[in-house]
Amino acid sequence: MLDDHTQVLDGTSVPAVNGTDPARDALLARSEARGEGAWMRRFREQAWAAAKAMPWPSLTDEAWRRTRLTGLDPDNFSYSPTHKGRVGEEALSPLLQGELNEMESAATLIFEDGLMRYRTGVAALEEQGIIFKPLDLATREHEELLREYFMTRVVPVETDVFTARHAALWDSGTLIHVPRNTRVELPLQIINWQGEGQAGHHHTLVVAEEGAEVTVMDDLLGARRGLQNSVIEIVQEPGSQVRYMHLQDLDMSAWNLMHGRAHLERDADLRWIQVSWGSMLTKAFLDLVLRGPGGHADLLGIYFPTGRQHIDHQTLQLHEAPHCFSDLLFNGALKDRARSVYMGSIRVTPEAQQTDAFQRNGNLLLDSSTRADSIPGLEIEANDVRCTHAATAAQVEDEYVFYLMARGLSRPQAERLIVQGFFQAVLERVPVESVVHKLEQVIERKIGG
Amino acid sequence: MSQLEIRDLHARVEGQDILRGVSITLRPGEIHAMMGRNGSGKSTLAYVIAGHPHYEVTEGDILLDGESILEMEPNERCQAGIFLAFQYPVSVPGVSVANFLRTAVSNVRGFTKEAHLASQEGGVVGSHLMPMRKFRRELTAKMKEFQVDSSFARRYLNEGFSGGEKKRTEVLQMAMLEPRFSILDESDSGLDIDALKVVADGINKLATEDRGFLLITHYQRILNYIKPDYVSIFHDGRIVMTGGPEVALELEEKGYNWVEEQFGPAELAA
Repeated sequence: MLDDHTQVLDGTSVPAVNGTDPARDALLARSEARGEGAWMRRFREQAWAAAKAMPWPSLTDEAWRRTRLTGLDPDNFSYSPTHKGRVGEEALSPLLQGELNEMESAATLIFEDGLMRYRTGVAALEEQGIIFKPLDLATREHEELLREYFMTRVVPVETDVFTARHAALWDSGTLIHVPRNTRVELPLQIINWQGEGQAGHHHTLVVAEEGAEVTVMDDLLGARRGLQNSVIEIVQEPGSQVRYMHLQDLDMSAWNLMHGRAHLERDADLRWIQVSWGSMLTKAFLDLVLRGPGGHADLLGIYFPTGRQHIDHQTLQLHEAPHCFSDLLFNGALKDRARSVYMGSIRVTPEAQQTDAFQRNGNLLLDSSTRADSIPGLEIEANDVRCTHAATAAQVEDEYVFYLMARGLSRPQAERLIVQGFFQAVLERVPVESVVHKLEQVIERKIGG
Repeated sequence: MSQLEIRDLHARVEGQDILRGVSITLRPGEIHAMMGRNGSGKSTLAYVIAGHPHYEVTEGDILLDGESILEMEPNERCQAGIFLAFQYPVSVPGVSVANFLRTAVSNVRGFTKEAHLASQEGGVVGSHLMPMRKFRRELTAKMKEFQVDSSFARRYLNEGFSGGEKKRTEVLQMAMLEPRFSILDESDSGLDIDALKVVADGINKLATEDRGFLLITHYQRILNYIKPDYVSIFHDGRIVMTGGPEVALELEEKGYNWVEEQFGPAELAA
């Protein structure tokens, strides 16, 4: 498969557009309209062919046993083909202006319906040699980088049918490349807004060279009755430090599929914050791969499904090198017929001695109509390791509520404090204060609604 | 005149009658000690006064300044000036003492009265909290006065606190909330003598002319440090004897078996 794939990347000829597959023709036409490098059309065409040959998840597939895609027809969404052009801040919707202004960032890219609408702060970064630009532009200006990293080694095209479709259909997307020993002080902010009924394929590729430091925030919004099928790839060269925050606050009617994976080389340090607020259904695969000794990775997740939302996270902590540390904590609150699934795996290969790997999943059930499944797993092939996993599910106890009410708090205030307290173990490890504040506001909204 | 009157109170939980006609009146400036065996229903009385939802009042009433509070939620009772210091305060992970207390104090002192309106109008909920600086200054002063280490402001409520730290934090909360009537449920239990002195000292500081106390205890020990105006003996869901401080001494001397001999064996314990 990889050989095929290499072939894709080597091709430079523009494929002939013919009428045998309208969906393929359309995606290639969009690629051309966006002005992407010609090689990318060949890449997309190959990926599309791969996707068509790949099976849909079956009911017996362990990853999909608890999360069914009944009713999802990925071809039944629209694409926004025309470029709307760049706009000034004042022309952005109030929602996007709010998102833009609530945190201090080094630079921001705002996408609407798969295309960049606004950007700020990028020029100053370029002076430092930092790349922060939309992927379509990058296919022309940074072809070498993309050929090396874009869906080749971290999340390969043929990981599953959704990643293959993503490779063919990606729209909004960002290339972030931070050169050796360069530090970006403030976060890089990506805001993605997706219109009603649309399919979106959001991509973020972060490459941190040796000793580089960067914080990235990905903000996913909109997608009413739409589909978002995203891929996040993080490449960390030795000694680099990445803080990545994925804030999924899609419309409650959206389908949301995600594949995120980070590769850490020697002494690399990662903290990944995964937030799942919105969507009707989410299936997110999140993998950490510790490939060099001394790597350190935190994967922290919070979710709060309400009103029939279904949120599924499947994580992998793969230790391939000795002396690495990974710590995973996913805390979720559930309310009003919501459902969550957490499947976690720690895998330690024989050479990964002196691994420390931890995994915890906590669930707080706000009422008895909710259900949280937690399925931890360990696969350890090395003998000198420290690995633990724990799963808890608790109800908001009357005794707690009574205690706080007896001190003058109203019932909603008491419940809110208990839920906020429950999320605190994750919130206190979110590296950006304004993001913590934003998350607290959503928690408040979720409890209230 | 301000008073908290418990009138012929009967209450049950899970089908079992626990309180069988309790009558007692608390007045400002008075400390009323209530002694009784474990299982006699003392804690139930405390919970029922505070409005615990698991207990059902089947007869009688609780009147604050002549008005029944039975229909009030626990937070409304607190805001009306009734405080319960818990025998076993629960720990609330992730919620700092300062954060929790600021909300509680703001409610009780009326800072949040308009919060609902604010949220309806799209304002920030919580903007009607007591101003942070003012709150901090007061909390710091009271923590010093009631011998609670200042680091506790940032610690999570009762999480990992020792028995003494929990009880002291209860007294601190009482000091911040400034209730008119306080029910102290075994605030002396599980404390060594030093911790007991600190807690008793805190209660004495708060026992001013405008406040009334119901001091529920199993042992006479705390009454060496806090001088009650009245002492009642609680037995089998009701008060069987009330008198001055000498009652406690008599009980200490003769033991609870004497109570049983006098008033019959407890049906509840069976």
